[in-house]
Amino acid sequence: MNVIRMFVVAGIACALSAVPAAAQTATPKPPAPKISTATKEKAAEKNTNPDALVLVDFQKRIDSYMALHKEAAKDAPALKQTNNPAEIKTAQDALGARIRAARATAKAGDIMTPEIQNKFRRLMYPVVTAPAPRGTAGRAVKADVKEELKENSEERKEEGGKPVPLKVNATYPNDTPLPTTPPQVLMNLPKLPEQLEYRIVGKNLIIRDVEANIIVDFVPNVIQ
Amino acid sequence: MMRRSFLFVLLLLLTVAVPALVAQNLSVPVQNGSVKFAVIGDTGTGDKHQLSVAKQLAATRAKFPFEFVVMVGDNIYGGNSANDYEKKFAIPYKPLLDDGVKFYAALGNHDDPSERFYKPFNMNGERYYSFKPANGVRFFAMDSTYIDDKQLKWVDEQLGSSGSDWKICFFHHPPYSSGETHGSDETLRTQLEPIFVKHGVNVVLTGHEHFYERIKPQKGIAYFITGSSAKLREGNIAQTQLTAQGFDSGYTFMIVEIVGDDMYYQTITDAGKTVDSGMVHRVGKVEPTPNRTAQPVVASGRSNQKAPSKPVKR
Repeated sequence: MNVIRMFVVAGIACALSAVPAAAQTATPKPPAPKISTATKEKAAEKNTNPDALVLVDFQKRIDSYMALHKEAAKDAPALKQTNNPAEIKTAQDALGARIRAARATAKAGDIMTPEIQNKFRRLMYPVVTAPAPRGTAGRAVKADVKEELKENSEERKEEGGKPVPLKVNATYPNDTPLPTTPPQVLMNLPKLPEQLEYRIVGKNLIIRDVEANIIVDFVPNVIQ
Repeated sequence: MMRRSFLFVLLLLLTVAVPALVAQNLSVPVQNGSVKFAVIGDTGTGDKHQLSVAKQLAATRAKFPFEFVVMVGDNIYGGNSANDYEKKFAIPYKPLLDDGVKFYAALGNHDDPSERFYKPFNMNGERYYSFKPANGVRFFAMDSTYIDDKQLKWVDEQLGSSGSDWKICFFHHPPYSSGETHGSDETLRTQLEPIFVKHGVNVVLTGHEHFYERIKPQKGIAYFITGSSAKLREGNIAQTQLTAQGFDSGYTFMIVEIVGDDMYYQTITDAGKTVDSGMVHRVGKVEPTPNRTAQPVVASGRSNQKAPSKPVKR
């Protein structure tokens, strides 16, 4: 009898300890802020929020990229209205080649520095982990993104498209679907100039130059 | 003997195939001088479903000579090479393009924004734009994936200066939807609805959900979802209070006719069956009013299906 009671107590204890573990796997912890000492010191000096400085830094890096983009676009054939879509691709490739040459030494993290990446993860966390909206049909953003990614992956396999290389300056493959980025996610991220866009590729967020069809930089594992 | 068999097969094909393509009875008035157009959404697959809808669309034009087609986004799925533009747009709609039918596209979440440079989409290189196909009617195409302050300002100004025209907005994501996959895009609704109400938008056409749904008028605005012109999520319409009529078991497109203050619509499947029809009536000129909460627009459904408050599921 005592043995049975011991088993029952042990079973209940195991079940109770398993619940928090299961909950943890269902919803990942929010990312903790990671701000460099230099930014913290600058924020203290200016009596401002360090997060605001991180976003200002992001904007400066994007502005700097856009200055380079515009310079490269001066010599490239302009994207213009055409009946021939091949001309759109030619113009994109030409601009892409010029930008690639102008930032040949660019590497991952030049724009999306570690503290900017951390800020992006924190901005996306509440949207990506939010439950489905109450009172309406529809699913949570994460489920929506997963469904779209599955659909994209199937389309890519059907059409024989290449996987997207997670590499700065790489061309986004023409035969590969452009995955979706839900508007709710975009609402929470800093706005980009219209030549650039965010796309969620797998678990990663990329910044794509629309006019040059190249990957400008990326945040890996942004979706847990 | 061989000739007789051939004739028999030909006769059989004609009796089966031809009526299927032109069988639908039109419930739109087909009046001279009216504005006639079609609506398709989530089209760019290049597969047999896109082709069958395109075929039915072309067949319908024989009876209902629409002048243009509104595309509510996801115009090119998958790869977007030059071949993809051919396979997923130019070939399926060739008969219509050859007849001079114009297509006006909005960008969906799967579209490359560089599609705006493709002339047959008539976007003039812009992510958002407006066009006026006839006196008294103006369309506003928006990019609902990237709504920024600049676009909001643009739509506010454009709607404000469009006077007494019918104001028809079209974009990809639906502010109201009963879809189990996506549902209503409430963020977008928060951004756009006050502007639409302020300026008296009459009709909003969207896609994204792979089914057809006519929403009960919201603040006096008629909302339609037409996202099943090539893709379908069967049984995806959830039971909500939003649905006036829904159809999630087949591929569809809409035909629309504006006659004065009445807008007639009919939703047709690729098999030529009508799944919804009716009329949206607007009550005259609407001046911009910042504090307005609803528009004097009446949408009256005349569905061919039973139980208009419930989605149709087969």
